Amino acid sequence: MKKLYSTRKYSINNLRRAKRSLKSRLIFKKYRKLKNKADLGVSKPARTYKRKFEEPYKDYKRIHAPENFSFIDNSEGVVEFISQLKSHFDEKKKVFVVLKDVKIITYDAIVVLLSIMVRFKASKIDFNGDFPDNGNARRILDESKFLKYLFQNFRNEDRYQLGQNSSIVTHAWKDVDSELGNELIKNASKTIWGTERRCQGVQRTLIELMLNTNNHADDSRKGEKHWWLSVHHDKHNKKVSFAFIDFGVGVFTSLNNKRHGSKFFGIVDKLKERVKFGNNAELLKLIMDGTLHRTATGKPYHGKGLPGINKVRERNQISNLNIITNDVHASLDKDLFTIMPKSFSGTFVYWELNKENLNCYGEN
Amino acid sequence: MEKIKISVLEDFSPTPGPRYIHEGKFSGELFRQQVLFPKVSEALEKNLHFEVDLDGTAGYGTSFLEESFGGLIRIHDLSYQRILELMTIISNEEDYLIDDVNDYLKDAYEESKK
Repeated sequence: MKKLYSTRKYSINNLRRAKRSLKSRLIFKKYRKLKNKADLGVSKPARTYKRKFEEPYKDYKRIHAPENFSFIDNSEGVVEFISQLKSHFDEKKKVFVVLKDVKIITYDAIVVLLSIMVRFKASKIDFNGDFPDNGNARRILDESKFLKYLFQNFRNEDRYQLGQNSSIVTHAWKDVDSELGNELIKNASKTIWGTERRCQGVQRTLIELMLNTNNHADDSRKGEKHWWLSVHHDKHNKKVSFAFIDFGVGVFTSLNNKRHGSKFFGIVDKLKERVKFGNNAELLKLIMDGTLHRTATGKPYHGKGLPGINKVRERNQISNLNIITNDVHASLDKDLFTIMPKSFSGTFVYWELNKENLNCYGEN
Repeated sequence: MEKIKISVLEDFSPTPGPRYIHEGKFSGELFRQQVLFPKVSEALEKNLHFEVDLDGTAGYGTSFLEESFGGLIRIHDLSYQRILELMTIISNEEDYLIDDVNDYLKDAYEESKK
């Protein structure tokens, strides 16, 4: 044995291990010294409370949700919030969402929060948060079951269903699911009219959006991205709101990414030759009224995609249609198209169904 | 007069879906392959009028209709004129679908001429 310990190989290894050990002991000594200093004069129960409840997320990146957490009313604030979360998601950093100061939270923001939370958890990136002090905001989060899911693990799956038997239900999938649309409409019509009815406009809207996600969320990777849909039933006002989101590339980026051979390849340049428009807000207006489609195909517009959804609104089959994509927020009922300072990589669509909207009697 | 009747609700599904089979259930491609093409080709062979009833379903995405009807010409190479001559579309619940279907057929015909 003596011979082994005295070999050159052993002495090098031993020295290296001793150096490492010393280094880690010094680091721990420094940490202990600081900790003892901080805990000086603090009772043991107080120290335990501090460790368990005050600083459990100290290594998490804290991201503050906007006070007005509404994608429709404060799109800029929510886009900034999503953008911060996305950058941490890309870097796989633990995130703590600070919701404490949120004063207003609207139902359209629920889909944003839930979808982001599941994406983090499914990718095994730690995600946590606190709850709003504001009672109303807290109640809405409770309804969505966000608090329940916050402490639950998620696996990377194709399909998610959150908040069953609640006034806010959330679904996510990658394919087009016409049966789901039908079920959601049946439930919505019971809330609004008290009986099951068919709302073909809502069904068309859902199918077009699911297809858009499937085909255009990222032009190079079709069918890989989830779409997310939250439906809220307001029994008091007899109104059902639908909030749909995909984290693809957004409408304008998708248009710019069209490849040679697509009828939409170079469409923005073609459109510029025929119609004057200054920015993406004006371009979205041209998309929604079918001008872009007519320019691309040279044919009358047949109601496909986003403009088809606008047609549904014009026929009074849905109300209060809002679209947020890249740097544009469009409020179609108000004919308002605004540019946002920060771009959202994806497409968010919100609409409502109320008792004034067209529908058909009879189950199918 | 004898007539072939096709109902999306009764012959296919109450919830028509996307364009292609790989995009989801009850696609236009499946409807065309399983229901529409066999019945339309039979009607054209026997010189019978045929009626396609779109009513009673949950609603249609545009791609479903385009793939179903446009595909008759684009994929199955059926005669546009003969289809127009013998086809009646029923859509009382969504009357605009009749124009849409006619446009899809016309577009597919014009594309096929190129």
